[in-house]
Amino acid sequence: MTATATNTENRNRTIMWVGFWGVSFGFTLGMIGFGDFGELNAMFTFQSWRMFLAFAGGVVIAAAAFFTIGRDKLGPRQPIHKGIVPGAALFGAGWALTGGCPAIPIVQVATGYAPGLVTLVGVATGMRIFKVVNTRYLRLDPGSCGL
Amino acid sequence: MMSYWPWWAGAIALGTITFGYWWSVGRTVGVSGAWDRVLNWSAERESERINASFDASAFEAALAAATADEFGDTLVATESGSDDPPVDSMPTAAPSTPLPVSSQAILLGSMFVGGLIAAVVNGRFELRADMGEAFADIVVDGWLMWPTLLLGGIAVGFGTRMSGGCSSGHGLSGCGRLQPASILATAVFFGTAVGMSFLVWKVI
Repeated sequence: MTATATNTENRNRTIMWVGFWGVSFGFTLGMIGFGDFGELNAMFTFQSWRMFLAFAGGVVIAAAAFFTIGRDKLGPRQPIHKGIVPGAALFGAGWALTGGCPAIPIVQVATGYAPGLVTLVGVATGMRIFKVVNTRYLRLDPGSCGL
Repeated sequence: MMSYWPWWAGAIALGTITFGYWWSVGRTVGVSGAWDRVLNWSAERESERINASFDASAFEAALAAATADEFGDTLVATESGSDDPPVDSMPTAAPSTPLPVSSQAILLGSMFVGGLIAAVVNGRFELRADMGEAFADIVVDGWLMWPTLLLGGIAVGFGTRMSGGCSSGHGLSGCGRLQPASILATAVFFGTAVGMSFLVWKVI
């Protein structure tokens, strides 16, 4: 088999896995209730611990798997840069207002909440604004996850 | 209408997805990064085209030839005959090339499919022009919903790019790998979300 054919096969397998995990992620977020604004607000106002425990439990399970199976392949530590705190604060405020982190509006729209599309337009606009502002003024290198 | 999953079922599913994605795909899951790349589709495709046309072996040969021209053959021969392991056999901590941008579009599209299946399975699918009773009661009602969602979405988009991740990239993948930057980001966005939620619930 040629190197090109092997590369194409690996690429197709990777894309299939991405699709599988994407469906699983969207399904899981919907079944937990992350697309439901009432549930999300109940989590953030400590009226219900169910979703918080699901999130925190997911982190603990992932951490246990990462450190028992893949400890030597986790990559270098990411630097703490100047954009982390103000960026995360803006994100948290927007998440509480709209009920959407960049993943959840997709689930909101899939559940039938059509105005979630406006949130998605806002997310895209915010990313575009950041790109312009960062290039001209901030000049941060915030990196990116999941590339 | 089915109840939502109990916390432990959600935890098992989220933990499995976070680790399984990394294990099978070789990258950590991050939805804001996927959005960012899909929104820069044409630039990403151009970058992929350039990478695909780059011939690494021809580049190395040209580099070796130029080095030999400049310093003579001795240095090149010594390097190639050293006891150092070849670069290909070293473990790579991070992938050298990103996934194709089409895979990131598939990630977002497949999340929609998964969300739709969940909505049908748990009996909550209902096409509507509002965000539900809780949003109307707690945040805003009527036409004010539209600018609120737009401005909130802008804050999410700007903030996730500025901090370099979101609840999946920093929260699940980053905290799961005990990355200090991700733990700090998650503490800040959860804390701010708690403060903002109390503000809109109790004050405004």
